Amino acid sequence: IKLISDAGYQGEITSVSTACHQIEVFSRVLRTSITTFLEGGMDVMEKNLPEFTKMVCHGEHTYLYSQVMMTILAQEQKGGSNIRRICQELQKCANERGLDVTPITLALSGAAAYPRACQALSSMLSKKALNPADITVLYKMYSDNQYPPPPVDLIRVPAFLDLLIESLFKMNTRLNPEHKSKYIYLLSYAASVTEVYKKGVRKQIEKKELKPTTQALEKVQTLCAQNKNASELLVDVSTLFQCIKFPVIAIGVLAWVDEILSDKSYFKLNTDHTPLHLVLVDEIVTNHLLLHQKALDLLIRLFENSFDELDVLVRLELKKTVLDRMVHVFSCGCVLPVVNYIRECHNKQDTDISLIRHFVSEVLDVIAPPYTQEFVNLFLPLIENDGITGTLRSEDGNDYVSEFICHCKANFVTT
Amino acid sequence: MAAGDTALWLHNKLGSTDDLWSGKTICSQLSQDKLQNIHSCFHTLQPHVKAKLMLSFLHIPRRNVDLWKSQLEEILMAAIHDTDQWVSMVGEILRTYPATGALNLELEDNNGTFAEVLSDLKKLVKRSVDLKMLPMECQFLNKTALVATTGQQPQPTKHFALKRKPKSATLRAELLQKSSEVAMNKKRN
Repeated sequence: IKLISDAGYQGEITSVSTACHQIEVFSRVLRTSITTFLEGGMDVMEKNLPEFTKMVCHGEHTYLYSQVMMTILAQEQKGGSNIRRICQELQKCANERGLDVTPITLALSGAAAYPRACQALSSMLSKKALNPADITVLYKMYSDNQYPPPPVDLIRVPAFLDLLIESLFKMNTRLNPEHKSKYIYLLSYAASVTEVYKKGVRKQIEKKELKPTTQALEKVQTLCAQNKNASELLVDVSTLFQCIKFPVIAIGVLAWVDEILSDKSYFKLNTDHTPLHLVLVDEIVTNHLLLHQKALDLLIRLFENSFDELDVLVRLELKKTVLDRMVHVFSCGCVLPVVNYIRECHNKQDTDISLIRHFVSEVLDVIAPPYTQEFVNLFLPLIENDGITGTLRSEDGNDYVSEFICHCKANFVTT
Repeated sequence: MAAGDTALWLHNKLGSTDDLWSGKTICSQLSQDKLQNIHSCFHTLQPHVKAKLMLSFLHIPRRNVDLWKSQLEEILMAAIHDTDQWVSMVGEILRTYPATGALNLELEDNNGTFAEVLSDLKKLVKRSVDLKMLPMECQFLNKTALVATTGQQPQPTKHFALKRKPKSATLRAELLQKSSEVAMNKKRN
């Protein structure tokens, strides 16, 4: 095996335990994987992640070694944040496999210099649950005016932020009102505070946005927790729109909307053509590029929901409404993931063709050239499919479908 | 417990090669004396038992790590000089852990392959600036904080021009209209 590895054929070493046996071989296989991720980006990483996790999580020692290697790489000023993402994806996958990686995560995070904060975080992260005592410890350290607070990075741990969002915005978690403001403070602190470092020493802590973020978060959290229905919430729409501009609030509202929409009776009782909660999703998408995928995931879950309790026609109308949201996401710049998803639906043949037609016709209604080759490659096959667009064409060729095909034929290499 | 018994105990606890994450199972049974015994029989242990034993250190409550610091460090020193490369690497990574709670990241001098792979990857990382695989916490950050951590975000590729706004725009306007009507009515009443 070492000979194969020495000769440079890392790709040929597929058995995990073989690759992990010798540190030299393992290191090179690790190099090959990371290289592939850095060259291919998110899509490639997502595809290869299960296999990569399997190898790295072979043993606690291989996991430790890989995370140490990547932590050093993540310190690079240029490009280091890409590696940080790989570290996090790996942590998440290891967690999902039930492996307790919190001690390694924290020992690598610089938390060691703040043993009390570290202990509080580690107990919550290991149990995957927050508790008032540990939250209070962190709150005191971050709100203390006498002693400098720990670095903000310490609480910018995705798993911790997720837990805070869940506690504040999910119905099933009963938050003790006495402690609520501490949860809100910590989440706002993590979202808004910036620090200036010079040669590794913290020179300045900028908290200008802390107060407005905290206030907005308090307002929206209270609204969401009141369990109002859509018509009761109508009066608060502009407040919600305002506050959603803070990314952290948008994430909270998405989690809240997700839970409300997954209640079976929601669409049965709702009479509006487009429910308020879905318009909130639109607004989040308009404001936050980085939340497009999260919003799209929510819409996909909703679209794939069977809605057995609804009448067939009502169900189709509802799915069209969800597709309209996808068109919105699409129009805001999340183009390829949306079209890819619709193509998948069509290929799997489990989606009513009238729905695919609806999507296509809504899209043709809003887009105009210039198009990119990538987009044409993905979208044109749907347009050329007679089953989908046959009824949208007119004989004189004076329709959006024919125009799109004509334009593509004239300007692109189509296969 | 004699050194031989300790070795046998460790073998029974950590000897399996099926589960290489079981180090932490022995934490509750460790003590200062036991660690001293482990140090005496360390050289007789199988490599994977040695590695698992050291990884258990990460799961020991901090209070005990402080108390047992010198015993833990003795074992790590023995590991660093081990002939098995995994054992010495794990020892090297954990070298600073008992004293500081942080892991040792100065590893390049100790292992040729590590240094080689690290330097190859460093070059690649520097070239990956435009890739923008953002750390997960970035979605939570206010704009100022985001720019401070990762720099300006590139605009997404424009795959087409928009000739009109999608239906969602009308809906939004209608909702705001309804909302202000409700607000007005509330005021009047």
